[in-house]
Amino acid sequence: MEIKKTALAGTLESSDIQITLSPATAGGIQIDLDSAVASQYGDEIKKVITDTLTGFKIDNALVKAVDKGALDCVIKARTIAAAQRALEQTEPAWEVL
Amino acid sequence: MADIRDLHLRVPGVRQAWLAFLAAHGLSGFSDAEIASVDSVIGLYDGDRLVGTGAIAGNVLKFIAVDEGDTPGANFNQVVSELQSRLMLAGHSHMMVFTKPQYEASFGHVGFTTLAKTDVGVLLEAGMPGIKQYLTQLPGVGDQAAKHVAAIVMNANPFTRGHRYLVEKAAAENDIVDVFVVSTDRSLFTSAERMQLVQAGLADLKNVRVYPGGDYMVSYATFPAYFLKSGDDVIRYQTTLDARLFRNWVAPTLHITKRYVGEEPKSHTTAIYNDVLAQELPPAVQLIVVPRLTEAGTVVTATQVRQAIAEAQLATVKDFLPPTTWQFIQDHYAELLKRIEKGQNIRGN
Repeated sequence: MEIKKTALAGTLESSDIQITLSPATAGGIQIDLDSAVASQYGDEIKKVITDTLTGFKIDNALVKAVDKGALDCVIKARTIAAAQRALEQTEPAWEVL
Repeated sequence: MADIRDLHLRVPGVRQAWLAFLAAHGLSGFSDAEIASVDSVIGLYDGDRLVGTGAIAGNVLKFIAVDEGDTPGANFNQVVSELQSRLMLAGHSHMMVFTKPQYEASFGHVGFTTLAKTDVGVLLEAGMPGIKQYLTQLPGVGDQAAKHVAAIVMNANPFTRGHRYLVEKAAAENDIVDVFVVSTDRSLFTSAERMQLVQAGLADLKNVRVYPGGDYMVSYATFPAYFLKSGDDVIRYQTTLDARLFRNWVAPTLHITKRYVGEEPKSHTTAIYNDVLAQELPPAVQLIVVPRLTEAGTVVTATQVRQAIAEAQLATVKDFLPPTTWQFIQDHYAELLKRIEKGQNIRGN
């Protein structure tokens, strides 16, 4: 699926993560992660984001993630919200949930 | 947990409390014009106590000040987060902030990238497309690595034979000339019209490329004093930021080694800008100051063209204009006059 526009979900408050998705024509899913715990959990955070976007069949995207200590379920929820906004979908994507 | 409320600065009590809060955090002395330019202002409240504030104007975050609560950074993050959400809702996926150096780290922690800094101010950006994307996605810049590339930044309000003279000179002395037209829409001629007139006026020069300057070249974000009347020290530090952004990001990414500017006998702001460019750009980028084109003893300036439009003396500046700009003004004369009547400033830039 093609991302239509840049979209943001989440906040910068403690235990949350702010995800910004924007269109890319090639290069796969490229994640730029800011996190105080990147050295311990960076790979896991990126995996959750990548898996969630793959669930939406998004092949190429630029992702900016500013993590403030979010749990996996929060990361997934924020990524889904950002993806739906970026794809301009209003119906929940049940199969991804 | 503090909550966010809208602040309506038209209410005198609200405005006073807000100004006092900013002053207590070392932010003061802005003009009414600057305050009037914001789109929305938010306050962060702990009960009835104001503990933080921030505002958005276009795609710029402004007037950010917070008290530290129990958790360091929490109030700051909440304010920035709310402002970012509002900018996204308003369709601004790319945002900038101009702030004091001590806040650089705080913005860095919430995903902002530093574009340029001086002793008194820092310019940062967040969101997409960022400066790297903006620069590398300009069509045709891929071949610039091995060539002599020069750049010119112009507002071209409107494009005159003086602009053309400057570009011709650069085009003769370099392999490629990248012309950046100021994107901020605060001039008599709209940014689309200026862009179109520059393109039309340079169409025959094959090694010249015309691009919009985006948020990065003499934009309202990097250099508000270009558009608002300001004091000399303000102009000086804003132009320093603009010059450093060009030197640190634009020039290396696009392999630009020279920048051409017109000598500036008339506009005070632009004269300071040229002076600062001369200090900041070398040795990475060579600054070349070209004497202005004169026509029958008069220096060709866009300022004079705008004046002639306002005073219905168009014939006096016909020799200043390339046929494309001349034709455009003839065709849109009534509308231009209407803009001036509505209060569009023609004496600035």
